[in-house]
Amino acid sequence: MMVDKQARYLRTHEWVKKGPAKNMTIGLTAFAIEQLGDIVYIELPQVGKVLKKGDIFGIIESVKSASDMYSPVGGKVVEVNAVVPDNPDMLKTQAYGDAWLIRVEPSAPAEFDGLMDADAYEKFLQTEAH
Amino acid sequence: METKRTLFYHKHIEQGARLVDFAGWEMPIQYPAGIVGEHLTTRKSAGLFDVSHMGRFSIRGANAAAFLDYALTGYAGGLETGSSHYTILAQPDGGAVDDAWLYRFDNDGFILVVNASNKDKDWKHLQGLVKSFSNVEMEDLCEKLAMLALQGPKSEDILKTLLTGGSLPAPKRNAASVAVLAGREVRIGRTGYTGEPVCFEMMMQAADAEYLWDMLIKNGASVVGLGARDTLRLEASLPLYGHEMGTDIDSKVIPILACPAAKLAVADIDKKKDFIGKAAIQRQLAALEHYKKGNFSNTSDLPRRIVSLRILDKGIVRQGAKIFSGGRDAGYVTSGTMVPCWKPDESMRPTEQTDQRAVALAYVDCKLAAGAEVEVDVRGRMLKAKIVRKNLKSAGIYAVAVFE
Repeated sequence: MMVDKQARYLRTHEWVKKGPAKNMTIGLTAFAIEQLGDIVYIELPQVGKVLKKGDIFGIIESVKSASDMYSPVGGKVVEVNAVVPDNPDMLKTQAYGDAWLIRVEPSAPAEFDGLMDADAYEKFLQTEAH
Repeated sequence: METKRTLFYHKHIEQGARLVDFAGWEMPIQYPAGIVGEHLTTRKSAGLFDVSHMGRFSIRGANAAAFLDYALTGYAGGLETGSSHYTILAQPDGGAVDDAWLYRFDNDGFILVVNASNKDKDWKHLQGLVKSFSNVEMEDLCEKLAMLALQGPKSEDILKTLLTGGSLPAPKRNAASVAVLAGREVRIGRTGYTGEPVCFEMMMQAADAEYLWDMLIKNGASVVGLGARDTLRLEASLPLYGHEMGTDIDSKVIPILACPAAKLAVADIDKKKDFIGKAAIQRQLAALEHYKKGNFSNTSDLPRRIVSLRILDKGIVRQGAKIFSGGRDAGYVTSGTMVPCWKPDESMRPTEQTDQRAVALAYVDCKLAAGAEVEVDVRGRMLKAKIVRKNLKSAGIYAVAVFE
């Protein structure tokens, strides 16, 4: 699955979904994972860190390169998926599911609505690829 | 500029390669197995690399050896037929124009293999020097001959299966021979750029290139792209021009002997007459002798050296990251990434379990030696690292990870 209909997206290939409860879940898109190739290192923030929309929340590294990951919405980090950094292969099959990266308590939930939806992100990917 | 394609371009497509521009060539960075998988396959089985983008020059004629002895740091005059050696195209100031491998497959002459990114520069450099010599013929063989590397513990078995005439280069590293593989003549060196103890580099006629590729694959070779070629050489602490050789981050010349590997390229300079860079290289060798005795009173000829690092903290250090020793600026990382490995058992054979570790090469203060701990600045976070003698060692037919 290259996109998840429920999610909203950044051009830098991060996704955000509503839930659980009033929190929001953030991850990296399947397209980004495929482009990166073998992922060998992931650095995620501490719980409690306060992020603004667009802040770097972590780093993902393949053999060839290191890439920053940006938060699509502002908020306080309430949960970090500690399983993924030890099992980066999960990202290849569960980018929108179990391989989510962080959960935030959004400071301005309306930021979600201003982001690209799945259709817009898919169109964006088509222009990226050509 | 239009990118060039090697004779194996269609084979790369067939194998599902991801192609990138490398030094003007459209080359496979990786195949579907991926960099990690390709690295691991080379260490346990046999990896096949298209290295046809590298420069290949034939140097023949009555004064070929005399010319090479002047232009290169190695002793070409002492290179026996059926052998090869690592050599460097030096500058008068003791820096490197390039590093290269010189083969003598037959009595006819020499073949010099140079870096793809430096090929045109090297050709011009050598053309400028050859003018002072009579009876030397230089020819660019890049179109005529294709080149493949077959590296890893199973590579000799594959070649033995295909051998129909001549002989494989044996028993030592650097041996060179002319063999017939599946009816096609191939020049083979027991050489490589992966740290594998069982290793071959082969040159074949353009017309035989695709056929031999197919035969190697059919007999068990697995394709490996430039991505894994880089992680393999880095794990083996082998220098790459533009990183550990050439000029440094401040555009200053890196002295040739800053690289430990370069000692091999200057091992026989006492047997040679004058050659380019002689005086500077002799000064660098003298500095190394002083350092060995703990004398660091004069470090101007060799202020920094290339060392191998293992990163002790979690994280990856990459090219350009600054290194600190006791809080002081001590150099920078020249190449670094995370490399995979097979966990070795007690008898140093690879098990079925894999692991990974962050390693690097770094250009650091000449006083720092193996065992020293340093810190590397990774985006403001200081990661502990240790200078090690090596990250990989040979154990029989295997190259295994060192975890000292």
